[in-house]
Amino acid sequence: MPSAAVLKVLVVDDQNSVRQMTRMTLEQIGIRHIHEAENGRAAMDTASLQPLDLIISDFNMPEMDGLALLRAVRGHPAARKVPFILLTGRGDRELVVKAAQAGANNYLIKPFTADILKQKIEQVMGKLS
Amino acid sequence: MSSLDQLKQTFFDECSEALQQIELGLTDIRDDAGSEDTINAVFRSVHSIKGGAGIFGFEDLVKFAHVFETVLDGMRSGTLAATPDIVDTLLAANDVLSDLVSMSRSGKAIPPDFGSESHAALEQILQANSNGEPADDDSPAPADFDGLDFVPVRVDNFESEDENTEREYKIVFRPKPDLLKNANEPLYILRELRKLGTLDLVVETDRLPPLAELEVDRPYLGWVGTLRTSSRREQIDEIFEFVIGDCELEITTLSAEPDFSTAAPASEIEVAPSPQPPAIALPPLAAAEAAPPLASAAPQAAPRLAATAAEPRPTASKPAAASATTTRVELEKIDRVVNMVGELVIAQAMLGQVVHSLPEDVSSRLLQVLEEVVHHTRELKDSVMSMRAQQVNAVFQRMPRLVRELATKTGKKVRLEMAGENTEVDRSIIERLADPLTHIIRNSIDHGIEAPADRIAAGKPEEGTIRLSAEHRGSRIVIEIRDDGAGINSERVLQKARERGLVSADATLNEDEINNLIFLPGFSTAEKISDISGRGVGMDVVRRNIQDVGGRISLKSERGRGMTIQLALPLTLAVMDGMVIRVASETYVMPMSAIVECLRPPASEIHNLIGTPGMLRLRGNLVPLVQLCELLDLSPPAVPSDERVVIITDAGEGSSFGIVVDELCGHQQVVVKSIEESYGSVPGIAGATILGNGRVAFILDVEKLSDLANSQNGSVGISRFANGDARAVGFVNGTHRVVPPQQAEAAF
Repeated sequence: MPSAAVLKVLVVDDQNSVRQMTRMTLEQIGIRHIHEAENGRAAMDTASLQPLDLIISDFNMPEMDGLALLRAVRGHPAARKVPFILLTGRGDRELVVKAAQAGANNYLIKPFTADILKQKIEQVMGKLS
Repeated sequence: MSSLDQLKQTFFDECSEALQQIELGLTDIRDDAGSEDTINAVFRSVHSIKGGAGIFGFEDLVKFAHVFETVLDGMRSGTLAATPDIVDTLLAANDVLSDLVSMSRSGKAIPPDFGSESHAALEQILQANSNGEPADDDSPAPADFDGLDFVPVRVDNFESEDENTEREYKIVFRPKPDLLKNANEPLYILRELRKLGTLDLVVETDRLPPLAELEVDRPYLGWVGTLRTSSRREQIDEIFEFVIGDCELEITTLSAEPDFSTAAPASEIEVAPSPQPPAIALPPLAAAEAAPPLASAAPQAAPRLAATAAEPRPTASKPAAASATTTRVELEKIDRVVNMVGELVIAQAMLGQVVHSLPEDVSSRLLQVLEEVVHHTRELKDSVMSMRAQQVNAVFQRMPRLVRELATKTGKKVRLEMAGENTEVDRSIIERLADPLTHIIRNSIDHGIEAPADRIAAGKPEEGTIRLSAEHRGSRIVIEIRDDGAGINSERVLQKARERGLVSADATLNEDEINNLIFLPGFSTAEKISDISGRGVGMDVVRRNIQDVGGRISLKSERGRGMTIQLALPLTLAVMDGMVIRVASETYVMPMSAIVECLRPPASEIHNLIGTPGMLRLRGNLVPLVQLCELLDLSPPAVPSDERVVIITDAGEGSSFGIVVDELCGHQQVVVKSIEESYGSVPGIAGATILGNGRVAFILDVEKLSDLANSQNGSVGISRFANGDARAVGFVNGTHRVVPPQQAEAAF
């Protein structure tokens, strides 16, 4: 049972406001170690510098989008096993299918509540303590 | 402010940036200057607004952005053509979106049918495209997509072994001369190697001879580095099979276990080339690509070039995302620093005075240190001012919408071109630029650009063009608004001016002088008052606005060809370089930017023409002189006339005049303090400053001084200088007030 307090989570979104909002929601469910990146490229930098337990990434970003990031993560020797949750808008089923094929572990529809976020994380990583 | 409110602010700031992106992108697409990236960027921006709006609960915004985004998605995926009509609809939709954002920001209730027209137009595009099928009705999609095969990951199974374990090899590869002669190419070998996994090489350039000794067919470079791959050793050996005898080659196994620390550089190569590659340790790919083919002229000299040319990023067409290295700071905080720098400049000037009054043996050492301090203060000032600087884009970006709306209203066709949007200027100037620009552009569309039929009749393209540009010239920013309309109808202007008694009936004016009459207060030639250009509180207000910030406005018109208005504005209002001067017993500061040269001419070079305060013969030209002590009503100086100094100043538009003063006291940075609050606007005085001795000195407004001089000489408000340039019109009766500095000190 992973402890929320020790999980290291990377939030990737090009919008600062969305990143902050996600951070606040993560903090509500007890996660304290939160890294941020504003696109896939920056996320890869972070992911290669330190071990992460979870990546939550938006899809639509300049430079490198969420799917490209997912593929880069899955192809990266150090980071390829890090669980990956894709943030998406409503009704984007096609994208979610693609993400599942590329190795995403779950998805999250914006906007989301703390409960949903927790539920999705637990589906991926097991019950949080 | 709660943290949620703060986040909302951040979101709205992001929206402003996104809206601007959308506007620019759509304009590019309309002008056929867009690429696939452009439409993607536009889509992304709308999508971001929608996403954020959803999170912060702005449902109207979400709804509208959703249809907008759906149309863009169609364009992006190629199912929808970007016809001019559709792009126009999208531009209009962006205006609605922008209004929705500002209404959401201000917390105003959004009228229920707001933007419904635009919404319907977007829906219609979608419906037409889907051949009558109902368009996507933003009904909420299911919150879950069932049946998707997601992999749950348990945190405790991270350590599981993988049979395809990667290994890391150390590679040393130094081609010998025969390698190239045997028709092998190192570049191809490195490329093959790269296909196996993650290659991290550093090029060795130490054997590279001077260019003159370089032999074209000899390889000088070598490569050392690591290859991380899951391929077998044999596969690596295969690559070097044909060159094995022609090179120094070393392949050694380093590690079998991937670990995070060594992975870092590898990933940089894959996804993030460092922005500034070091000079010698080249980014491996760049170095490899740079190793040129056999036939090129100076094959092995290329790596240094490669070192400066960073590897192109995948989305090179888009300007590098600045957000990665920027931070938002409250303006107040920066203003506080600006004020502190101002105080520092004053304190430093005072220190300078004290040091000068000390005995020389002490002061000389202190002066050295002080000089250093002065140097640093200047740099500090420059960097703080650059922080306050903003791109003129902040104002320019409002103009496309204005042009669009006005064009629709007047039934004219107008295109707006913009250049130099990235030019930076202090934000206090930016703030005061919006109104004048709006006014000028309104005028241009209302009175300048002709109706399409008239344009065709005049042999011009149906669509009129307004070009808005900005650039730095010296310590000023010059903004130019140029249109290709009808220009100013000078007969009509002159007639109106005479009717209104602005010029006497017998005055002979040249075309430029007539055109400048439009800057006079209350002047308007609009044959019908339209709701666009207002009621003749026109160009004089514009001119005053510009002059209030120490700028000047000039105008050129060519009948039937169009007109150009130029605004020249100072880059900053807070701290400037000044020349401290003395006239009679008073001390003044003159902006260095206005000074062309200072000289002490012999009396024989000064010609006293009747009705003028003198002309100076300078390198064959006659330059009009202004006696500062007379102009400012000071007691006549005790200094003999041939010891007085003439400061030649640039009055803009190539004309110059000389200001006669008693003494130059030195060059100094001064902090500009406004006197307007206490004394109103005083012609000829741009502000005040505190000198090193703690006294207040006025800062002279050079351009207005020349106006003052003209009006005092009894000219009718228009005078011509020796070189034939018409001076701007508009100074009616020299009703200036000059307050002695002693009295003004109370104001600080």
